[in-house]
Amino acid sequence: MKRYIFSMLSYFILILFILPQNAYAMHIMEGYLPFGWCGLWTALMLPFLFLGMRSIQRTVQERPSVKMLLGLAGAFAFVLSALKIPSVTGSCSHMTGVGLGTILFGPMAMSVLGCIVLIFQALLLAHGGLTTLGANTFSMAVVGPLVAYGIYRLLQRAGAPLWASVFLAAALGDLLTYITTSVQLALAYPESVGGVTASLVKFAGIFAVTQIPLAVSEGLLTVLVFNFLTAHSRQELQELSVLRKEGQS
Amino acid sequence: MFQIDQYAYSNRLLTVHPGEKLAFAVITMIICLISQSLAALLAAAVLMAGAVILAGIPLRVYLKLMTVPASFLVIAVGAVAVSISGNGEGYLWGVDLGRFYIGIGSCNLDLSILLLCRSLGAISCLYFLSLTTPMVEVISILRKLRVPPLFIELMGLIYRFIFVLVETAESIYTSQSSRLGYRNLKTGYSSLGILAANLLVRAYRRSEILFTTLSSRGYTGEIRVLETQFAVSGKNILAIMAIDVLLILLSLAEMSGGGLIGRIYN
Repeated sequence: MKRYIFSMLSYFILILFILPQNAYAMHIMEGYLPFGWCGLWTALMLPFLFLGMRSIQRTVQERPSVKMLLGLAGAFAFVLSALKIPSVTGSCSHMTGVGLGTILFGPMAMSVLGCIVLIFQALLLAHGGLTTLGANTFSMAVVGPLVAYGIYRLLQRAGAPLWASVFLAAALGDLLTYITTSVQLALAYPESVGGVTASLVKFAGIFAVTQIPLAVSEGLLTVLVFNFLTAHSRQELQELSVLRKEGQS
Repeated sequence: MFQIDQYAYSNRLLTVHPGEKLAFAVITMIICLISQSLAALLAAAVLMAGAVILAGIPLRVYLKLMTVPASFLVIAVGAVAVSISGNGEGYLWGVDLGRFYIGIGSCNLDLSILLLCRSLGAISCLYFLSLTTPMVEVISILRKLRVPPLFIELMGLIYRFIFVLVETAESIYTSQSSRLGYRNLKTGYSSLGILAANLLVRAYRRSEILFTTLSSRGYTGEIRVLETQFAVSGKNILAIMAIDVLLILLSLAEMSGGGLIGRIYN
């Protein structure tokens, strides 16, 4: 048992040092998923995209100015994901913006905005890819926002303080995004001996465990942004909640 | 601001019909995803690199771009190559860790090499598209492919605003750091929080201003812009077909001829 704990510990320490922390949000790279899995994840993501489009369409018909707002919200999400988070070691990491975007704009709008942002990240920054767009959209624009939104609503209803719900929504939304990515990779490349479970341990060990400190810093930053907004821009926050109501319907 | 975007507007293939470039990139990408042949995958990567060089993008820039996905590539391909199991059977190289055995199996190694080549091929296709075709043209092709108009319109809006917001974020960042806002970790976090919050408020205000301006110019829910007309070139289409058929034949030849990879995966 002692030996087991020791080897696990040394693994985590090793992986934290070896992995480059300056990677952008880790999207699955172009060409990394086989054809069938690309198709499957795209098929799974499309219904959410469709629902998101329908809910946006409905809101836009009532209030045409929402379209401009969504355009700027999407650009904001893109720029947010390109901001460097300051870190101790001097290396840089990036926010996913999943938590902040979801709390501000709602999970429905995020599925559409997230998909578009991922297309631009692939074409303008070479992060992620077109063939893996379905898988990346599913993890980052469907699972992440849904988890973040669920946690936020649940905690708010339970009477938790705002900072706690914002922190947990952002941190867990970020973490669940990468757990989904690990599941996608594990399903596509199962181990010959241990099958999907063994490869899930392997991929989650690389993509999700290393993400924990980043998830915590994303949570902290989201709380800072929220504190600032509630202190200085209460009116804007209330006006922005138009988008969220559309997400709830 | 974005190097890729800058080259997309200033390369030598700018006058080529964007539909041809998109078709070339996407079809070759699909061939790369399906093909099991290392030769075909590497050929695709080399061809695409050649096309990019032909478009007048400096080799130095292209090679530097290739290092962008390198961190994911190394980690993910490495993860496939290495496997953990109870005993060390069939491993080319391994370490005994008491209860586990971590090592590189020959089967895993083949798969990871295939993955490496496939990613190289597919990434070159992506780079060909993004380095030679401006985003505006990509969006107009998507419109012709009957992607829902709302999605297209949001894409267009987001694309244009990215540049506005990046500029705003950069100037906020400059003024913050000139006031020692990023001196240490604590001030860094609070500065970044303020930056993001301010950026959001400004984006919101800007969207209001934009709507007012557009409305005063007769906006009724649709932004119509003139699109550049391109001539369809039969020569290019023939060349694209020839190259892709060649790549397919190369993949098929290795499948039936039983190259190393072909034998394992069939």
